[in-house]
Amino acid sequence: MREEILLGNGAIALGLVEAGCQVVTSYPGTPSSEILPEVVRLVKSEKLDTYVEWSTNEKVAFDNAFAASITGKRAACCMKQVGLNVAADSLMSSAYLGAVGGLLIISADDPGPHSSQTEQDTRFMARLAKVPVLDPSNPQEAREMVGLGLEISEEFRVPVVLRPAIRVCHARQNIAFGKIEKNQSKSVFQKDPMRWAATPRFRLILHGELNKKLDQIGEKFEGLSRYNFHNLQPGTSYPLGIVTGGVPYAVIVDILSEEGRSSDIPVLKIGTPFPFPQKLADEFVSACEKVLVVEETDTLIEYLLRDRHKVLGRLSGHVPKEGELVPGVVHEILNKVLRDLGMEALQEDDTEAAELLKTLNLPVRKPTLCPGCPHRAAFFAIRKTRPKAIFTSDIGCYTLGVNLGAVDTCLDMGAAITMASGFYHAFEQDGVEKPIVATIGDSTFFHSGTAGLLNAVYNGARFILVILDNLTTAMTGMQPTPSLGIRADGSEGKAISLERAVAGCGVDFIEVVDPYNIKEMTQAIKKATQYVSEPQGGVAVIISRHPCLIAYRDEAIPEKKIVTVSDDCEDCNFCIDRFECPALYHDQELGRININRQICSNCGVCVQICPKGAIVEVDES
Amino acid sequence: MDTVDIVLCGLGGQGILFMTRVIAQAALDKGLNIMGAETHGMAQRGGSVVSHLRLGQAQGSLVRTGSAHFLLGLDENEAYRNLPFLAKGASMYVNVDPKNFPRQEVRDFLAKRNVTYHAIPAGNIAMALSAPQSSNLALLGYFSAFSEGPVSKGEFVATIERLSPERYREKNLEIFEAGLSRGLEEKGA
Repeated sequence: MREEILLGNGAIALGLVEAGCQVVTSYPGTPSSEILPEVVRLVKSEKLDTYVEWSTNEKVAFDNAFAASITGKRAACCMKQVGLNVAADSLMSSAYLGAVGGLLIISADDPGPHSSQTEQDTRFMARLAKVPVLDPSNPQEAREMVGLGLEISEEFRVPVVLRPAIRVCHARQNIAFGKIEKNQSKSVFQKDPMRWAATPRFRLILHGELNKKLDQIGEKFEGLSRYNFHNLQPGTSYPLGIVTGGVPYAVIVDILSEEGRSSDIPVLKIGTPFPFPQKLADEFVSACEKVLVVEETDTLIEYLLRDRHKVLGRLSGHVPKEGELVPGVVHEILNKVLRDLGMEALQEDDTEAAELLKTLNLPVRKPTLCPGCPHRAAFFAIRKTRPKAIFTSDIGCYTLGVNLGAVDTCLDMGAAITMASGFYHAFEQDGVEKPIVATIGDSTFFHSGTAGLLNAVYNGARFILVILDNLTTAMTGMQPTPSLGIRADGSEGKAISLERAVAGCGVDFIEVVDPYNIKEMTQAIKKATQYVSEPQGGVAVIISRHPCLIAYRDEAIPEKKIVTVSDDCEDCNFCIDRFECPALYHDQELGRININRQICSNCGVCVQICPKGAIVEVDES
Repeated sequence: MDTVDIVLCGLGGQGILFMTRVIAQAALDKGLNIMGAETHGMAQRGGSVVSHLRLGQAQGSLVRTGSAHFLLGLDENEAYRNLPFLAKGASMYVNVDPKNFPRQEVRDFLAKRNVTYHAIPAGNIAMALSAPQSSNLALLGYFSAFSEGPVSKGEFVATIERLSPERYREKNLEIFEAGLSRGLEEKGA
């Protein structure tokens, strides 16, 4: 039997192909990004004909999958939790309309957060939309729940949400492969405008239908003992029980087993938090004097337990209201509860190591742009040319421009542009001409930049927009963008010109510059500044184009430049403060700046930035 | 068998994930179940990379503080940063010049917990074999010399052979062997 160590996202991909899912769409976002590439890998190795696409955003991914579902095919769309916000309109509406072929929405949560702007809980989004949600504890269960979700979706004709958290997506586990067969189902669309194009009058009927479906699904979940179960001994009562699900379930089971407490503290695992298996929960709660709810990241189960006098959790102050529930934190929660209830505590965690660490002054490693990153060069030129501007920015590697003092805001995908126009109008109302420079990545621009740009141009906003075009979606792992003309499976697609997309939004000023040439970049910004303030001016767009070093190792630096720091260096720290390249460091022995050869990318950009001209290129010959 | 918990740490680009893959695959081939946790996304741009690996019956992917049996560090500071994971009686293997390791402040802590430590200049060994990116394999070879953990030297070699891309295979094995002989010398001495 074939067995592989798969990433959780790989296990989910395996679940999709095993379940005969014929259409998989996605927009990349940590921690969900690897699902689609893993599907592609399996489609190729198993010679399937699954349709895969990197969609331009999550709403687009959702709608494409939804359409496939209502032709009777099994379909899935994959995204991160904040991506589901982008697709929320589709989610809410599709709950009423229903599904035909199984429709699975995979929305990956990021407690921590490790790589997201919020710690929001996808289970609540599913509850809000009134669709079932499945919450796996590990990769193997996630893989099984993919099939379960598609079956439930098909049986009850409702979209289903799978919520794997980051410790499922980025866990690795050995997984035995099942049978993978090509699904031969053909698309059939049965016209039914009262459903698929329902007006409000019919929406009320559909809402009633949805509520009935949820009642039936709730009944089914009560008996779904593979994913909803407890280990109560019949006739025994307990001072404390734990209700949990998802990743915290795995953590709790490990801790109780390591501490030899598995038999005196029963656990109720909830794999289907909505619709909630209420009877099962009542049965569990009635056998316990108190129940502790440990769930990520919000309080869904805690709200749903009916006997409020017994419930401990976030609302009672026993569980932290923010942050990831890593094993150390869960251990602490358990101990606090056990002590409060006068029960025997677990072994104390050793805090000496943590204390010791504080005294070691280890170097803080904050996230930073890579050595040679073209964004760094662009940010340096922007800050140098428009030092007093408001810098609106966006979601991607380039949010790290904050380290260079060239990012003031980061709200959500596309907000660099919409906030720039918002700032413009707010100041303009007071008669103030505020300089504004927005930065957005190429993939983010295609995701949600155009609507904001159209709006800014239409409503007469004036600012500089720098599109940081590194020809890839870098932060999430180098997925192609529409401008490359490469599709998710590596096949050729139509390349969309970024310049033409910008021009199509009504922009009359477009310059394309290679940011590695700081002088040219600076000149372009000056020209754009002038355009913005001209009577006929408006939004000036600079496309700052240079390939990402990780995605294009060889092309990104065609001529390697060996640089060194000369004795002209006065150790003013300007390069470190303003350029912040990890390869530049203060050399204690030399008493000046030096270059770390092991990580230097030989891009040579820093030669252009030293005010004393002390960073110089070495002539290799 | 009880779960064996391993924390692997270092900086981006040092090959933590490959080292993790080799150990995990070798353990799976011996019939052990695998659970592990990796770092991706924004956190990856930071430099610190940690990988947790749990061999045996673990449900969760994260190692609990005070539980790791082994710590493999490709960077000295990152090894210190992950000290809280070490269990009593654990072993740590670190890529660092043995002359200056560990820092004075850490010695008492390690002694009190019966933690044995081994230091190898894995970076220099890899550099000398003109593969500066491969300190991970030198450290792994060195670790295997002490026959700790469920995977033997021979099993490591077989797994590296299988998982290495063809053009790196020979080099990878050469560097692993160099780390291994270094460890065997130390063990013999």
